[in-house]
Amino acid sequence: MPLRLYRGDLLLIAALLLPLAIAGPRLGWPPGEAAALLGWVGRVSGILGLAMLLVTAALSIRLPGLDRWFGGLDRLWWLHRLLGFAAFVLIMLHVLALGLVRVPAGVDVAVLTLFPPLSQLALWSGWLAWLAMVIFLAPTFQFFGRLDYQRWKRLHLLSAAALLLALGHALPLAGETWPWWLLGALGAGAIVWRKLLSPSLARHPYWVESVAPLARGVVEIALRPEGRALAYRPGQFVYLTPLDESLSAGRGEEHPYTIASAPHDLLLRVGIKDLGDASHALQTVSVGSRAMLEGPYGDFFAADYPQRDALWLGGGIGITPFVSAARGMAAADEGRGVQLFYLANGPDRAYYLEELTRCAGEVERFTVTAHFYRELGPLAESFLRHHCPDYAHREIYLCGPPGMIGHLRDLLDAQGVPAARIHCEVFDFL
Amino acid sequence: MSKIAYSAFIAFLASIGTLVSVHALSSDEEVDSPREARDITLDELAEHDSAESCWKAIHGGVYDITDYVPNHPTEKEVILEWCGRESSEAWDNKRPGRPHSPGAERQLENYRIGRLVDDQGEPLEPAAAAPEQQSEAPADAVDDEVGLDEADTRLAKALLSGHYPDGRYRGVFSDGGEMQVNVQFDLRDGRIGSLSYRHLAYAGTNYRRLDEDDELYPVLEQHRQLGEALEGRELHEIFLLYTSQRLAHDVDGYSGATLRGNKVHSAMRDALNRGVYSWP
Repeated sequence: MPLRLYRGDLLLIAALLLPLAIAGPRLGWPPGEAAALLGWVGRVSGILGLAMLLVTAALSIRLPGLDRWFGGLDRLWWLHRLLGFAAFVLIMLHVLALGLVRVPAGVDVAVLTLFPPLSQLALWSGWLAWLAMVIFLAPTFQFFGRLDYQRWKRLHLLSAAALLLALGHALPLAGETWPWWLLGALGAGAIVWRKLLSPSLARHPYWVESVAPLARGVVEIALRPEGRALAYRPGQFVYLTPLDESLSAGRGEEHPYTIASAPHDLLLRVGIKDLGDASHALQTVSVGSRAMLEGPYGDFFAADYPQRDALWLGGGIGITPFVSAARGMAAADEGRGVQLFYLANGPDRAYYLEELTRCAGEVERFTVTAHFYRELGPLAESFLRHHCPDYAHREIYLCGPPGMIGHLRDLLDAQGVPAARIHCEVFDFL
Repeated sequence: MSKIAYSAFIAFLASIGTLVSVHALSSDEEVDSPREARDITLDELAEHDSAESCWKAIHGGVYDITDYVPNHPTEKEVILEWCGRESSEAWDNKRPGRPHSPGAERQLENYRIGRLVDDQGEPLEPAAAAPEQQSEAPADAVDDEVGLDEADTRLAKALLSGHYPDGRYRGVFSDGGEMQVNVQFDLRDGRIGSLSYRHLAYAGTNYRRLDEDDELYPVLEQHRQLGEALEGRELHEIFLLYTSQRLAHDVDGYSGATLRGNKVHSAMRDALNRGVYSWP
């Protein structure tokens, strides 16, 4: 993730530092003396760790539109993971520092501080919160193998328990409680919205209008809105929950799919590649069945610089955001030139190429170049330069499988393209 | 990211495990001999009232915490203030109403050097003298200065030796089947503040509803003066209320045997017995 600050980040930093700022006058600056410093570290890491835990919970809210404050949902999830792990580490530092600081008084005192009589409920509540964190983080550490997505999600619900237990630890012990009530309400509110309210309030009903096979293992599903249609922009994605009774897997489960239709299209189309149980089952979803959509999310094309021409590099099912943008291009009144490189294994796997070429024929400023791996190997700099001499000065958008992204990043980096001009969407465990 | 968190997790388990196992091993060797209980009087305790030698009496025990003073997490003054004194109150109110932790209690035991006794060698407990036992304190000493003299102060302190955490207190004096005084006041660092009357009545007259020109109105005024006179005073100085003429003006109007300082005193003692009404 490039280190770019979004406006949401500032809110995040403010929320993270709020409890510390409130407790600041009481804590003072780090003292010079070792034992006092250790105690200070213990308190500060506890305050910061809990703030992170609560903010991490709040970040799971997944409100359409809000994610763009943070540079898209994938970056929001990255922040969620980063803060969650940091909270976990800080909380352990908190425990350890406050235990060790008592060692000069005797190991028994230190142990009694960490493991007091059971009547000290607030302290044990803290331990239980930590235990809950260990359990729901266990799949990340692969303690018992890698869980599938749905089971992982269910296990992650333990985070709600961790949140409440952590508050049960902090509220009786904290010097100032109102920041904890505030952040706790934000975190708990986000979980309540996500798990209890959003399934009924945030999902839009759609009908499956058609299922068009594009290639082996790839279909494009067109969906007709039952009521008001979702408004979206090219490059965004939705969470799709199919309700088709005949599905072999994934019925009622939500998964993210990129929108391939143009924003003005009456139907919402998603290109779906057979990559797992749920997307495999969707290849044969019944026409006329219902599906719920939540979104849109993502911010792929947000960093727009209309004065600068764009270079698009798409491969595999990662071509879909570009398809959406290309389909909308004829209608969009935009002046900049766009060159798309369609990176596919071969002509049989370039499933949107025909339509993209047609779009390029209609729109003068849009060019499409196909590149086939089986014929030419990985994309070479010379190929890029030959077809797009000014590529290094363009705004660059990448979408595709991780191997391709890694290769392209290295290639562009070697040519001195600044990372800030490369935009990339990674779908990893969304 | 997950690798760092995982490494931290393992390091955490290892550290806690080490701490617990060292504890388990060392406690096996520990000989649990009760420390010799030396008798220490208040006079001897009072000699050790500085950073050079700091003794404190807490719940009947005497502790030499000189070596610990530099390790205490607060400013030195906070802990030194109580050297050479009976410090149970400070111990039980690390923050108002919140005692030190069990860990700290265990730690304190390491510094125990004896027990607190009176001049006869009998153990002294901080709350030995229950306030109810001697509610009639002879505080009739006539003094020009508004304040208790040394002997009275000592006595008053002894009578109020329970610990009263900072907070808001409310209490009542009732007699003859009616509530006569309902008082509210705050305690901050052991000092009285914001004393007010939630109810003030006698023989069916509600004094708080009197007009200014009512002949009994000065009584209400004098009660307010009592509150003002007590503002910022130490708690034990409520015994001054027994000689309320020293706190309020216009004694003639006041001594009509209707509402009196000792009723206010009683209501305040009731408030203290009831405990904190609301926390600061």
